[in-house]
Amino acid sequence: MSTIGTSVPRKEAPNKVTGRARYTNDINIPGTLSAVVVPAHRAHGKILSIDTSEAKKVPGVKAIVIGDDLSVLTGDVTQDRPPLAKDKVRYWGEPVALVIARDESIARRAAALVNVRIKPLPVVNSIPDSLADNAPLVHEKNGDYTVATPPVSPKKKSNLADQANVKKGDVEKGLKASDVKVQVHVSLPQIDHAAMEPRVAKAEILADGRVLIHASTQAPFEVQKLVAQYFNLKPGQVIVTAPLIGGAFGGKAAIQLELLAYIASKAVGGQMVKIANTREEDLTMSPLGLGLEADITLGATKDGRIQAANMKFYLDIGAYTDSAPRIARAIAAQCTGPYHVANVHTDVFCVYTNHTYTTAFRGFGHMPMTFAVERAVDELAQALKMDPLEFRRKNAIDIDNMTPTKARLTRSNLGDLPACLNEMERLIGWQGGEVQAVGPHRVRAQGVAAFWKTSSSPPNAVSGAIITMNSDGSVNLSTGAVEFGPGTKTTAAMILAEKLRIPLDRVYVHEDVNTSVNPEHWKTVASLSTYMVGRAVLDAANDLLQQLLNLAAIVLRCSPDDLDYGNEHVFVRDDPHISIKFSDLALGYKYQEGDSIGGQLMGRGRFMIRHLNLLDQETGHGKPGPAWTVGVQAVEVEYDQETHQYRVLKAATVLDAGRVINPQVATGQVMGGMNMGIGVASREGVHYDPNGTFLNPQFRSYKVMRMGEQPQQYLVEFVQTPQMDSPYGARPLGEHAVLAIGAALANALSRAANTPLNTLPITPEMIWQQRRERR
Amino acid sequence: MIVHPFDYYRPDTLKAALAIHEELAREGRHPIYYGGGTEILTRSRLNEGRFDAVIDLKNIPETRQHGTDRGQYRFGAGVRLTELASEDLWPFLTATADRIADHTTRGQITLGGNLLSTLPYREAILPFLLTDSSTADVAGKHGVQSRALRDIYDQKLNLKPGEFLVSVTVDGQEAKGMAFRSYKMTRQDWIDYPLVTIAVARREDGSIRAAFSGWANYPFTSSHVNHILSETSRSARDRAARAVSSMPHQALTDIHGSREYREFVTQYTLTNILKELEASQ
Amino acid sequence: MKSLTKPEQVSLTINQEPCDVVIYPGETLLYTLRGDALGLTGAKPGCENGDCGACTVLVDGVPMKSCMVLTAEVEDRDILTVEGLKETPIQRAFMDQQAFQCGYCTSGFLMVGHALAQDVANASPERTIEWLRSNICRCTSYQEIYDAVSSVVHPERS
Repeated sequence: MSTIGTSVPRKEAPNKVTGRARYTNDINIPGTLSAVVVPAHRAHGKILSIDTSEAKKVPGVKAIVIGDDLSVLTGDVTQDRPPLAKDKVRYWGEPVALVIARDESIARRAAALVNVRIKPLPVVNSIPDSLADNAPLVHEKNGDYTVATPPVSPKKKSNLADQANVKKGDVEKGLKASDVKVQVHVSLPQIDHAAMEPRVAKAEILADGRVLIHASTQAPFEVQKLVAQYFNLKPGQVIVTAPLIGGAFGGKAAIQLELLAYIASKAVGGQMVKIANTREEDLTMSPLGLGLEADITLGATKDGRIQAANMKFYLDIGAYTDSAPRIARAIAAQCTGPYHVANVHTDVFCVYTNHTYTTAFRGFGHMPMTFAVERAVDELAQALKMDPLEFRRKNAIDIDNMTPTKARLTRSNLGDLPACLNEMERLIGWQGGEVQAVGPHRVRAQGVAAFWKTSSSPPNAVSGAIITMNSDGSVNLSTGAVEFGPGTKTTAAMILAEKLRIPLDRVYVHEDVNTSVNPEHWKTVASLSTYMVGRAVLDAANDLLQQLLNLAAIVLRCSPDDLDYGNEHVFVRDDPHISIKFSDLALGYKYQEGDSIGGQLMGRGRFMIRHLNLLDQETGHGKPGPAWTVGVQAVEVEYDQETHQYRVLKAATVLDAGRVINPQVATGQVMGGMNMGIGVASREGVHYDPNGTFLNPQFRSYKVMRMGEQPQQYLVEFVQTPQMDSPYGARPLGEHAVLAIGAALANALSRAANTPLNTLPITPEMIWQQRRERR
Repeated sequence: MIVHPFDYYRPDTLKAALAIHEELAREGRHPIYYGGGTEILTRSRLNEGRFDAVIDLKNIPETRQHGTDRGQYRFGAGVRLTELASEDLWPFLTATADRIADHTTRGQITLGGNLLSTLPYREAILPFLLTDSSTADVAGKHGVQSRALRDIYDQKLNLKPGEFLVSVTVDGQEAKGMAFRSYKMTRQDWIDYPLVTIAVARREDGSIRAAFSGWANYPFTSSHVNHILSETSRSARDRAARAVSSMPHQALTDIHGSREYREFVTQYTLTNILKELEASQ
Repeated sequence: MKSLTKPEQVSLTINQEPCDVVIYPGETLLYTLRGDALGLTGAKPGCENGDCGACTVLVDGVPMKSCMVLTAEVEDRDILTVEGLKETPIQRAFMDQQAFQCGYCTSGFLMVGHALAQDVANASPERTIEWLRSNICRCTSYQEIYDAVSSVVHPERS
């Protein structure tokens, strides 16, 4: 009996189909107050005055807090963001004041009465605006802010919040040695995570000084640390709980509402206060995914070997840095895509604008980066008149190559990209990149793109697991990873069931995370939970097994070395009839006489990623993550040459999963990722008007995919090359299916429309526009 | 969550509806008539629109009329868009209304709510704009008056303060006598506001009429454009191009698309519609 | 004439049970359902603007976005929420097809799927898509949801 490799439903599935699954906003204590922000209706301006007098008169208003009441500056890396705008507003929708009232209706009515006078300043409304000579400064103090977690290198008196670079080989020499060169400029708008559950947080300050925070967060332990740090509390005083989360995609790794909830509770003497984003607030006020402009130069010899990559990435990070410097380094570290390129020079710039600030988005910068690189790779293949899939196979990164940051690649830490390319060729019925006419004005085309990604986690990220036994011999599993959809808890339970050789239903998972109860898990991000939590679970399982065997050895009067286990029994290996049930050991063993030994058995496990380091600020060299997941994605489109409308017929992914723990869940992750990636590439993007006003803050204007718009066919296959240090060889795969599918779509449509499509989203109007400009 | 509190009234008769409106207005209140509620509730949430009482008309039998009455098709203002589709009394109206919002929401939006929306689209008006016989039955001080739609439609259905729409009608013969096409063109998504919705009727005498939503801030038809479209000696492509350049207003530029792109889409869509209608003669 | 001008007790029929609750005149059904008195939090606020469908419930068997309905409108009507679904084929199908990940949109999709199965037996694939287009899911590929609903409304096809 093996659990690993079987398609089991998520542990919480029955609750999710009965309305019994509870999310943060479903758990309410009567008497909870409500906090609502007053948003800035200017993208850039000096705050002249904030008049709260009318708002305070509204019956039921308890307190109003403004930026001047606070002194803290926050930020994951650079501390540049006041929780409430102070002196200046830097994006449309930025919170300027916080109204706390008896209920949300009252708070919203009062918020509308807060009179904020803002003197408009010139708006930095794009990356070129931001980089222009004498551009207005989004942050006058850029370069002077406290840096919480280096590295970051801001440039004073400019809008450059950070720059990172990677140098390998000699890019000039490499380009000289190239017979064919392509230059590609890509431009991608900011996008929204659009998790179906809007962000929400609640806070209360108990009389004994403890601070309780309940939030829809991917990072409860980070919330604990940062709330303590920002507000001069002891970490143990701050208790953060996160129940089930209604989608996250990186957007709930940022910390914003938690701080406002704490500030609100503090303003009303510690009463429980809730702040729940409307959809409009979730889009405009809370952080987005970054926008990108990039200039990519690639050179290759005429036999199709890439010689050099010279790249500049400009990230529209919006008004505050948040995790942008980390993302910039992740982009730099993987800048070549999954190809062996000997000569690389890449600069990544984090550019402040008067747009909503940004944070991690599924793929941690690898999605926009991959789009840029894969468009250039496809253009290069086309310039060389080579089959784009063949070209990728020729240049695919493989073991014994070095990454751009000179990390060493092994069969364990790198998936098998050539094998993925071979499988894709078969899976989608690859036509060599040729466009086929299928009717008057209608053509079909295929596009392919490849990805790789590592975790870019801090070198000291930790994870833990605690297993306790129940009287019937079943186990409870406690970890610090939150559940927002990918089945993190179920996977951890499967790993435990496999190790203890028990059925999955004998493992009970602790669904919520509570920082004072569960062992720490860095953040539930970077698709790392299977690896990190899994390793901690195995460590804990070993600890528990040792306790089981030791206690059984006493009872069975033998050495623990003589014992084995299975079927919820510990038994003597050479005479299995001599055995004892787990349940007789779980809470200690009771002798016939009634005296007992042992006590409750509980396993403790922990894990820390080894051998990572921060990238060298000069050269960018270093090891950014434990392993690189690789994969190939392809689409087949049908395109109407007259209307420029198109339909995705097939979307395919082949990914080296190392080992597939739960095939149905893994396939679902990959299909969902493709759907999101196609949505981003085909319709998503924030619109700002010339004043920096956010124009599409609702689902009727920020369009995401709906039923019927998905590809006619999804194709998913896994290559399985084990990652040796990961549980059962599994590689991370949660984020990855978004990474290259948009590039594959653009590659297919660029061929079909016979014009390079380097701007997202690719709407019929965009294609029409590109073709017009080209004529 | 409703930001601004308001009172709720659900009268059972036309008279009671008018009376409560009058009474509230006299008290200095700001009552509005309420159909499906989808627009009123979104506006209320965003603190837009000034009203403090809603008068729900759906319980008044006259607003729920839906059928043929002495040769006329009558559509009550309180009929939901999904009900229009399931009854399918006038397929042209069904085809146009069935692309508004999404299926669930169409089960909430009423015909009257769409026709009197404050949004620029109001696609359900398009088929009516292409007829001669359409009337709007309006409840007001003097009871229910039947008014020619063309007389009270100028960028919007003009009702006097306190009046409300009871039903709209169209002559069954006229409705049946026209071949039609109704295409909603969007930026990319099936569920979206229109880049342009084009409803075209080919009448029994062979003349063509077209009405547009999404092109401008309100739905419209233009006799000049209709005249151009009816010049059947010219090719469909030619007529469509001339129609686009003869529109009474410039096309909008907004997040759904630019003016030039709207023109492009309108032109090829009109061309295709003309070809289809004339091929099916 | 029915009127509601101040908080008042109304009688609702929810999941075949009569419930008396005090509501404000301008209160949406979503708000009432999720409030402390009823605690039916299966319907989710996702946009409160009629766009996402996460709050969908059935009123007399018809799917309605409960954020766009006043509670005052649905007195004496039969309201069915996800909590009222008891071991229905659609729930089983969503489990079998893993037609959800985070689960936040699931109640809404279930209600549309259930209404489709109740009301339009053997609905065409086009109609199924048309109904399900009313809702947004950000995690899955929609194919899983389509397959789940499809297996109930036209089992012969799947």
